[in-house]
Amino acid sequence: MVAYPALQMGRLTPVTNADLGTTFPPVYGGEAVAGQRVYASEGCVYCHSQQVRQTSFTRSDIERGWGVRPSVARDYLRDSTAFLGSRRLGEDLSNVGQRLSDASWHYRHLYAPASVSEGSIMPSYANLFTVHKIEGQRSVDALELDGDFAPKAGYEVVPTADAKNLVAYLLSLRHDYPLPEAGSVTNAPATPAN
Amino acid sequence: MSANLFPMHYSEEVGIADGACSETTPGTLDSRALDDSLRVPVLSLFGNALHWLIISALIAVVLSIKLVIPGFLGGISFFSYGRLAPIAWDLFLYGWAAQAALAAGIWLTVRLAGTPLSDQKKNPIWATLQSTLLVSATILWNLAILLGSLAILAGYSTGVEWLEYPNWASGALFASFLMIGIWAVLLFDRRINERAEVAQWYLVAGFCSFPWIYGTANLLLTWKPLQASAQGPVLAWFSGSFPVLSLLPISLAALYALLPRMKKEHLHRRSLAPLGFWAVLLLGGWSGVTNLLGSPVPAWMSASGVVCGVLFLIPTLIIAINLLGISRQGEKQPKSVSFGFLRNGLYALITVGAVTAFCSVPDVSGALRFTGVTDAKIQLLLIGAVSFPLFGVLYEAVPQLLGRESWCPSLSEQHYWLTLIGFWSLIGGLLLGGLFTGLALNDPTVSFLNITSYAFPFHVMEVVARILLFVAATVLGFNITRAFAGDYLFPKRS
Repeated sequence: MVAYPALQMGRLTPVTNADLGTTFPPVYGGEAVAGQRVYASEGCVYCHSQQVRQTSFTRSDIERGWGVRPSVARDYLRDSTAFLGSRRLGEDLSNVGQRLSDASWHYRHLYAPASVSEGSIMPSYANLFTVHKIEGQRSVDALELDGDFAPKAGYEVVPTADAKNLVAYLLSLRHDYPLPEAGSVTNAPATPAN
Repeated sequence: MSANLFPMHYSEEVGIADGACSETTPGTLDSRALDDSLRVPVLSLFGNALHWLIISALIAVVLSIKLVIPGFLGGISFFSYGRLAPIAWDLFLYGWAAQAALAAGIWLTVRLAGTPLSDQKKNPIWATLQSTLLVSATILWNLAILLGSLAILAGYSTGVEWLEYPNWASGALFASFLMIGIWAVLLFDRRINERAEVAQWYLVAGFCSFPWIYGTANLLLTWKPLQASAQGPVLAWFSGSFPVLSLLPISLAALYALLPRMKKEHLHRRSLAPLGFWAVLLLGGWSGVTNLLGSPVPAWMSASGVVCGVLFLIPTLIIAINLLGISRQGEKQPKSVSFGFLRNGLYALITVGAVTAFCSVPDVSGALRFTGVTDAKIQLLLIGAVSFPLFGVLYEAVPQLLGRESWCPSLSEQHYWLTLIGFWSLIGGLLLGGLFTGLALNDPTVSFLNITSYAFPFHVMEVVARILLFVAATVLGFNITRAFAGDYLFPKRS
């Protein structure tokens, strides 16, 4: 059970798609690679899975919009760790970059989950942000927060490098490209992610 | 409790004749010589294990509160759910369960083998060397856990579930286990009973499988990681094999060794025990892949997992046939907390077998896999089937090793009942919550936020259960501290 994956699944290679002229799975950008480390150290895997299932018994993942096709082993080829997960206290993140492609949404969600998702039980990751006094012009990275979630007047919330890397990683999570073993992909943009 | 449970003439087929369980029985080994060789390593392992149990139970309380009040201790990296969760798991697995299993395993090995760990009179240099090595390994083990946990807290987790410690800490754990476990395996070879008991098979299996499973999983997932596409099956193998093949055998050894002796009965249908033993070993390796339906693993693996999950009923049934009759209420029912924990450990094990088989059925697996039902199965195994028998050994061994009846019986009773109520409340909450959320998850018309709100009452139930388990662990810690410190800290009232 250990030897087989090591010998066979451990030797999978990327697939070149002649029609699209590119290779899948796409290579992660530098920020996303660093973001994987943040994903590991912040323990996101304890609440979020990264696998879309589709069998005759498990159709709801795709019907829920968590992916356009089932996840296959080759999807994890570019990862340093496969964060498959064992609980779904939060939603599956295999295709979060496709479903939620707005970076500012992710920043607000990490800083104050209830600000964009009322009733969410996700804890705040405010430790990935700094709140400081606005000196001169407002930072271009500052979060747009309203009501109870906004910092006090004259202050702004700015993501740290870890937050930027983590969001870059989340945005790169999209298993929506075609692979021979994954079957046909419907409703997919079929473009490589960053 | 002080009566010798290990007279020479015990037989698994015959049991113990009435009156044989006493220190003065002819043919009984000198239990004091055995205890002398065990005292330092076993007490230090049990003592350290208890510290980690209490800390992990406290962190589990904080984690359960965070699911009810997400803002609780929020915004501070050290207290974030994602950093505390792996620490709680690892402290429980390696701080408590593995360390207590080592303590219980060494105590049982020496008592069953009838040979002291080392003989100070015959070979003092060798005995001193061995003792130093064991104590050094225990210190190394606990330093690795302490520093490894601090590293996770500081953001240096590997991100691999149950293998989060940085490589230097997992390497130290691996090395210190080898330094401790090797003596138990060597002692099996020096046993005085020619025909090994069922408990001794399980002890050897547990001691051998820890380095194999922990070492292989770390090698392939953290030390020299495989390509991530191949990591899923290896992690699934580890998450099932580690508790079932490394920890559970020591607890099974406790059940097979102590239950019949406490009741002075023979094993029921002992001839089935070899089949049960090999079935545990063969199917235990597959216990982590019993519900991988639809996951990015080879189809044959998830299909075999379904079969193996159902087949796990075979060893469960054999263990139940061997021991259930002995553990039931009867005239000769011992009134000890130790016996109570052993009996409940057996019940939890039987429940694990039933839940594993149920959760392997494709329809069930598809719906319930990522819910509290999976967590309930793991907690049934780790707290019930693994930890309860370890508590049973602790209550039997520690008073004997301390050489005095220093336990406060009422505190022992409180620990027993708080643990049982907390444990079954936790399992009940997780199972019910898992069923509700699983059914809702399977219906794509129900939004995820609604599913979260369905789970809320069960999260509250988990908070209560976790608090009870924390109080129980603290009571045990207080009781054992009281027993260690004796009359110095807690003078008897005249």
